[in-house]
Amino acid sequence: MSDRAGLATAGLLAPPVHEVAPDVLDRVRAALVAGVTDATTGLVPGDVIELGLPQLRRARYRPESLALPDEPFAWKPAFVRRSLGLELVRACASGRFRGPADAVVPVADHAVEEWRRTGRRTFHWEPWLAGLGRGGRSVVLAEAVAWATPLWTTFDWVGLAGSARLPAPDDVWTCPTPRPLRLKGRAEVRVGSAADRPSLVSVASGCPGDGWRDELAFLALVAALAGPGHPAVSRVVGLWPESGYRLVVDVDESALTGAVDRVVDAVAVTADTAEPVAVG
Amino acid sequence: MRNDARGERENGWRPPAGASLLERLRVTGRSRPAADPDVAAHLRALLGAGLAEDVGTTDGDGRIVVTKERLTRALSCPVHRSVDRFGERAFTLPLACGALMDVLFRQIVTVGGIGDPMADALDALGMDDHQDALVAWIGGLSAAESAELRAEVERQSRGLSERWPALEPSWLPRTQESMRVLLAGGAVELSARADLAIGRPAADEASVALVEVKSGARRPDHRDDVAFYALVEALRSPAPPFAVATYYSRTGEIDVVPVTHELLVEAARRCLAGTRVLAGLTARPDDASWCTACASVRPPADRAADALAVDRGIAAPSCGVPVLSLPHGQAA
Repeated sequence: MSDRAGLATAGLLAPPVHEVAPDVLDRVRAALVAGVTDATTGLVPGDVIELGLPQLRRARYRPESLALPDEPFAWKPAFVRRSLGLELVRACASGRFRGPADAVVPVADHAVEEWRRTGRRTFHWEPWLAGLGRGGRSVVLAEAVAWATPLWTTFDWVGLAGSARLPAPDDVWTCPTPRPLRLKGRAEVRVGSAADRPSLVSVASGCPGDGWRDELAFLALVAALAGPGHPAVSRVVGLWPESGYRLVVDVDESALTGAVDRVVDAVAVTADTAEPVAVG
Repeated sequence: MRNDARGERENGWRPPAGASLLERLRVTGRSRPAADPDVAAHLRALLGAGLAEDVGTTDGDGRIVVTKERLTRALSCPVHRSVDRFGERAFTLPLACGALMDVLFRQIVTVGGIGDPMADALDALGMDDHQDALVAWIGGLSAAESAELRAEVERQSRGLSERWPALEPSWLPRTQESMRVLLAGGAVELSARADLAIGRPAADEASVALVEVKSGARRPDHRDDVAFYALVEALRSPAPPFAVATYYSRTGEIDVVPVTHELLVEAARRCLAGTRVLAGLTARPDDASWCTACASVRPPADRAADALAVDRGIAAPSCGVPVLSLPHGQAA
């Protein structure tokens, strides 16, 4: 373990910097519902609007892309690297392997064997991976190693033993507005129990944009809304391995309010690309 | 494409393999640089001072993405830009061979072996939508060209398999390591992708080495390419890499460059000059001196980077003859 990883881990496990009282969450929730209601006024009643971190970023940095039709889903290495990469980190943290490159072949093989034996798809990509040729499979595995290695080296996973959950469970909350909005928070790692104000770790590609603070706080916002009665997340750590950034948001009312504003902005941008209600 | 095996047999030189190959990479003959925030700050200041105001006033509304290929092309003199056709993406057998060898190298590092080289490599390229046109072009080659490409890919992949040992997992080998750095308030992005990175990033001492694989012959700009990688890594991480290297899969040669403060400063100056060209800014008096092809034929006294040129193994010509240390055949 390096000093750098030790410091990053200590930061993850540190006590919360700010208190977040229950009435703060009540205010934040009310502000979100009001803002989303305003932003969706005039929209055709229809399907639930889904909003996660990717959509939040697209709405701010590439709003024109929201109007493009979704491509039909087809597996590619980029869709596998996160789930396989997290499994590699988990396997390494258990002490069975010396690093992601050591773990990748046995972990991928085990996933495929389990699917063949039980018919159950833990990761969903098992049949696709099983059908690839040797060259294609090596690309998938290489992408997962490249994804996992920075996460593996950033923290002291021995120090996190027993307290880190990866992948973190998704948080989902549906906003009770006329045009329903479903918020989905997907962090890579959750550290600490729900009762102890856990910390979240989020991994992103590229460079952090100017709205990075609100993006990390968004994960804390959805976690708070999805788990009523649980204390708020204490902090969210964002990793941008390609550009070497590790940024932290200590969660307080200001951070949550910033995330609410960002969600409302994203919904407004999404609404602008949708067909309005016909009048008259 | 030229086969270098005969030359290898004739001169008695054997490419490094196994442990000696890794030793060449790990032991550069110089102490590893310590992490020094002042160095990174100096590099940023050097780049920032030359970009911040000017780039902010350019007409373009998009971010300027600076890659090694764009730098080399931007800094080539008009003659060499035309002769060497830097940056042009017309498909050729050497270019196809390079793409195929890149994915085979990745396969060897990740899973430790290759089956049928052509089949594996085409299968791997098929995973990348961006390579669809190249895969189609390879599929449309004549029988003779296809056989030539296959023979070269098989020969080079055999060399890779024989020479590259399994990398120790604790070195954390990862392939296609993507590195990015924003400058000038986000107006400029330096973007690099190394074929191989090894070593655990540390906060106190340089511990990472970056390797670029080339299937063609040595060219002067290859050292500029890996120096650019060193610069980007030094800017994004607490410590610079301790070495950057180019591995030539055709010959088995490895060209290891220890990373020094001087190398990083030189790379930053070159990057600054190239970025200014890419941004369409007014040329500075020394911008024309960065054409690598010209530099290899010009007496080193004419260059601002004399010391670096010597350090790079580019011998000083006395009669205007290009004297790159190991010229081999055609470039890819």
